[in-house]
Amino acid sequence: MQPMTRPGPTDPRDGPVPADDVLSIRGLSVGFAGFTVLDGIDLTVRAGELVCIVGESGSGKSLTALATMGLAPPGARIAADCLRFTGRDLLPLTERERQTLRGNEMAMIFQEPMTSLNPVMTVGEQIMEPLRQHRRMGARQARETALAMLSRVQVPAPEARFDQYPHQLSGGLRQRVMIAMALVCRPRLLIADEPTTALDVTIQAQILRLVDELRHEMGTSILFITHDLAVVSEIADRIAVIYAGRIVEEGTRDDIFDDPQHPYTLALFAALPRPEDKGRDLASIRGQVPGPDAMPGGCRFAPRCPFAIEKCRAERPPLLDMPGRAHRVACWRAPLEESVR
Amino acid sequence: MTRPLLEVSHLFKSFGGRDGLFRAGRRARVVNDVGFTIGRGETFGLVGESGSGKSTIGRTILRLLEPDSGEILFDGQDIAGLSRGDLRRLRRRMQIVFQDPFSSLDPRVRVGEVLAEPIRLHGLREGAAIEARVDELLETVGLAPHHKTRWPHEFSGGQRQRIAIARALAVEPDLIVCDEAVSALDVSIQAQVLNLLARLRDDLGVSYLFISHDMSVVRHIADRVGVLYAGRLVETGPVGAVFDRPSHPYTRMLLAATPSLAGRSRAPAQDIAGAPPSPFDAVTGCAFASRCAFASDRCRTEEPPLDTFQAEDHRAACWHVAELPPLGPEAAQGDAAMSPAYRRRIDLLRRAQAGSPA
Ligand SMILES: Nc1ncnc2c1ncn2[C@@H]1O[C@H](COP(=O)(O)OP(=O)(O)OP(=O)(O)O)[C@@H](O)[C@H]1O
Ligand SMILES: Nc1ncnc2c1ncn2[C@@H]1O[C@H](COP(=O)(O)OP(=O)(O)OP(=O)(O)O)[C@@H](O)[C@H]1O
Ligand code: SF4
Ligand SMILES: [Mg+2]
Ligand SMILES: [Mg+2]
Repeated sequence: MQPMTRPGPTDPRDGPVPADDVLSIRGLSVGFAGFTVLDGIDLTVRAGELVCIVGESGSGKSLTALATMGLAPPGARIAADCLRFTGRDLLPLTERERQTLRGNEMAMIFQEPMTSLNPVMTVGEQIMEPLRQHRRMGARQARETALAMLSRVQVPAPEARFDQYPHQLSGGLRQRVMIAMALVCRPRLLIADEPTTALDVTIQAQILRLVDELRHEMGTSILFITHDLAVVSEIADRIAVIYAGRIVEEGTRDDIFDDPQHPYTLALFAALPRPEDKGRDLASIRGQVPGPDAMPGGCRFAPRCPFAIEKCRAERPPLLDMPGRAHRVACWRAPLEESVR
Repeated sequence: MTRPLLEVSHLFKSFGGRDGLFRAGRRARVVNDVGFTIGRGETFGLVGESGSGKSTIGRTILRLLEPDSGEILFDGQDIAGLSRGDLRRLRRRMQIVFQDPFSSLDPRVRVGEVLAEPIRLHGLREGAAIEARVDELLETVGLAPHHKTRWPHEFSGGQRQRIAIARALAVEPDLIVCDEAVSALDVSIQAQVLNLLARLRDDLGVSYLFISHDMSVVRHIADRVGVLYAGRLVETGPVGAVFDRPSHPYTRMLLAATPSLAGRSRAPAQDIAGAPPSPFDAVTGCAFASRCAFASDRCRTEEPPLDTFQAEDHRAACWHVAELPPLGPEAAQGDAAMSPAYRRRIDLLRRAQAGSPA
């Protein structure tokens, strides 16, 4: 059987973008002088949905988020067939128009809290800023709202923390302050780049629950970037697995966890420490992600894939639906049990 | 018996007061009477709530922070009151890899120089051998020689963390404090780095203080583990004993809150509710009492010492260990908890990985 020759019946690239999509990205490419990092990313986040992006470090997850926010680093060249937010085309917007969206209708929690928190502003000032700027709140109301938000994200002694500076907080506290800042204006879309990496598991569980509650309460859609697969398993509605700047597998939470198809997805799972691995080497993926200036033709995973055949090195595998489902995989050999003896 | 490489006893550390960062008179008591040892070639895991003082302990051991009181012996030598020269020599033998790869690298220094500098500073190699060592270090952490000429900002988070690890390895230390050193890494690189740390431990006898939020990683890498809550060790012991037979209610909470790959197994909200006491407030009794389902009057007034429960090397600071409910039946772990299709394909992959050259 050759499932990849089937047409993709639910390929979102066909037809117009449905109205209820909060974010639609088609054919997003981002490059720097001399090399391309993201190579044609398609991603949809529907209203109220939580979509996770997982993938190798350096594969372009943060860049996807930054390009969407209009915060790509200087020198980045961005091209897309479509980059729409609640029906509005983001590409032609001026920086000024972008600013009215950021921190207001779309907000981001950054991977590096220290570089995105302002070191010379107190915690309270930073949380009040979007309220004053976008919501035109007076000082007292902004303070009350900000304090309430700090307690919602479980910052102990919020009154005392309010007047502290970021360097006086632990990593986890800083991250919670970031979350409070991002959510304080109740955005339509929240992009969270590794938001719980610095948190311990009980606070992480509380925060994930909180984010989940707030998403239902405010109808906020979430694009969640993380490499913690257990977290993904617990929170995701849908998942996109990205490798070397391309999406290699995409599906619902159950598609990816109960029926993983792509060798890279499988390799991620296999690298997790299991209790039975104690005292043994973990299964890391041999080799390393190819440099952006040395991307292999064909399937980009081929040099590291134990299933690679000649075709993999020659031709790029398209991202196609598994038979009868919206679970999409870009692998010449999927499903593996039919092609591997 | 040989002496442990590191002996920490009765360590106290607080912040605030003097510099006016906090309201006058309020000090944050962050580390409270912490003690543990790390043997040569041993990995001691440190887990616990965010803000519980893990990084502070790590930094104090390296004397990047001065303790209020307590003793830190490294190789039998008290690190307090060392001369500058002795401290410098000691710094070579103890390294730290920080939580935040973004702030720990100087943006104006190229990666090659980041690694060459400590080698030169401590006179570990000369001339062309420095360059060769830099290449070797990059390879060790899964980067390539051509990365030498790049700037830190040109790397992703995980790549920067590997540079920081390579820098720590550059001086061939005896003890590495890994402060969330693998938290920013994706699982494949994490596996690579954990394998690397284990290899250095087995081949060179390097010891680690391994600070992490990830229970499965700590379980994998650590020999013994300490559970920290509000600056106090509430449970310590061999990693298997502590994780399989958690004897402090906080350790149980921690394990219950750990997300699992099988998913949707979240602990009921009330089981993980609450927050640790503020370090500014004086705590009487057990620091966990405010969140503990088993707390009694005694818990709220009298602090349980760490040896309240003791079974060989496994200790816990809880008045009610004996009355804690028995642990539920062990849930399936690892691949066994996953779907048949998952297991089938992971098996295919593992076999293919074993069959193809690494
Ligand atoms: N300003 C820049 N100049 C040049 N290259 C860059 C720049 N920013 C990012 N890159 C490159 O783009 C690629 C993708 O980076 P990105 O930060 O999106 O990775 P990531 O998937 O978020 O990784 P991680 O999981 O480690 O955070 C990396 O290879 C990185 O080296
Ligand atoms: N320089 C400082 N000045 C004042 N308070 C500080 C300072 N450094 C840390 N603290 C406080 O000490 C406490 C412990 O911080 P520490 O960074 O050791 O926690 P941690 O256990 O490493 O937390 P995390 O898991 O979030 O990294 C926190 O309440 C923090 O706010
Ligand atoms: S297309 Fe080929 S190389 Fe790529 S993942 Fe599939 S089997 Fe491996
Ligand atoms: Mg990133
Ligand atoms: Mg810390």
